[in-house]
Amino acid sequence: MSLARRMTDLPTFLAYSVVVEEEAADRHDELADVMDVHNNPDVAATFRKLAGYSRLHAQEIREHAAAHDLPKIAPWDFEWEGGEPPESADIDEVHYQMNRAQALRLAMQNEQRAHDFYAAISRDAPDDAVRELAAEFATEEKEHLELLRLWIDKVPESEDESPFDPDPPHTPE
Amino acid sequence: MTATQTAPVALRPKDYKSELKPVWCPGCGDFAVLAAITKALAFLELPREDVALVTGIGCSSRIAAYTSVYGFHGVHGRALALAGGLRAARPDLTVLVAGGDGDGLSIGGNHFIHACRRNMDMTYIVMDNEVYGMTKGQASPTTHPEWDRSKLTPRGTGIRPFNPAEMALTAGASFVARGFTGDPNGLAKILVEAIRHRGFSFVQALSPCKTFRPEQMEWKKQVRHFEEAATDDSVVADTRIQQDDGMSTGIIYRADHPVYQPGGIAETGVEAFDREFAI
Repeated sequence: MSLARRMTDLPTFLAYSVVVEEEAADRHDELADVMDVHNNPDVAATFRKLAGYSRLHAQEIREHAAAHDLPKIAPWDFEWEGGEPPESADIDEVHYQMNRAQALRLAMQNEQRAHDFYAAISRDAPDDAVRELAAEFATEEKEHLELLRLWIDKVPESEDESPFDPDPPHTPE
Repeated sequence: MTATQTAPVALRPKDYKSELKPVWCPGCGDFAVLAAITKALAFLELPREDVALVTGIGCSSRIAAYTSVYGFHGVHGRALALAGGLRAARPDLTVLVAGGDGDGLSIGGNHFIHACRRNMDMTYIVMDNEVYGMTKGQASPTTHPEWDRSKLTPRGTGIRPFNPAEMALTAGASFVARGFTGDPNGLAKILVEAIRHRGFSFVQALSPCKTFRPEQMEWKKQVRHFEEAATDDSVVADTRIQQDDGMSTGIIYRADHPVYQPGGIAETGVEAFDREFAI
């Protein structure tokens, strides 16, 4: 049975949604920190901004959740298809030399996965209220995707090249 | 005025992180170990002041500084010795120990086997990336013999690597498990079980080094779960480890062995120690 079909009630759906957004924000913050440390300030600022947007969305979902008693689910009992929540950036895809365009493309992949997650629930969940709220969240994720498209259009083409490092770490001895 | 009592606020995983920014490379598996530890501690609802994380030296050993529990960033290969002392003096603490494959299995190899044998109640996490990362990429005791990317071993080491899980089992650890940083939630679950286990819990965390072993990013495609549940039969566990290619995860062995816990030290008091050192 798919995850969407197991979303039988609103509290369970909201418990999943809160984790989707909060872990996305935490991951963006983590990536911003690591880019700061590796002297990639433009990309750090980009990830920091993305973390802020994720937190706004998380806050919005928490407000929806305030009226419900959410189930306490252990991190490993969430049945994420990729092992992690769909909006969390794949850590394998980052590099200290990545540029803003690459960071934004990564963010678009995350938003696309989040959209697909909510869209599947809006289509397949057995509960009407869950389907309705999931459709709302899917629409929001689509809007985020559009905003990211507009943002990436403003990034100069030259940023498709990775920053140069005259002293890269990979110098085996 | 009447005093009011408020219920303790449940800590979230991020509450177990410090404000220091990790210096690990972007994409390093060690971030996931940090996430798994903090998720496990939050799940177990352990107060931060009741937990200590002792580490050695190396990239992964920096993890003590990135948590908000008590930390001791110790001496190369000696994290287990320090943790043993801490455990003897403060049996009330939850003691976690962490480090890399070089720190734990080479420089600290002797401490490792005796810590397994002693079976003191602590959890030891080896963040295994099969390389010395902090010193720019030399072969470690878990490096495969044909790895030839280091100038120190241009034709590979030609030496069979240690199998950490097998070493732990043979030396007497009462809990042996393997996790993968590509599955941080699965690793967190293993850590919860390791911390709950009474005795020496050994957890090998496969943690790719993106910088010096970029080919390890393929581990995601190779790692799978052990099909069998944990056993308390060391022969069965050993067979399972030997028949595996080192890429299966889960709790391999869990048994009830006598736990070494010297008594009386905490009650002795600092003054008594001072007297012993008085000239």
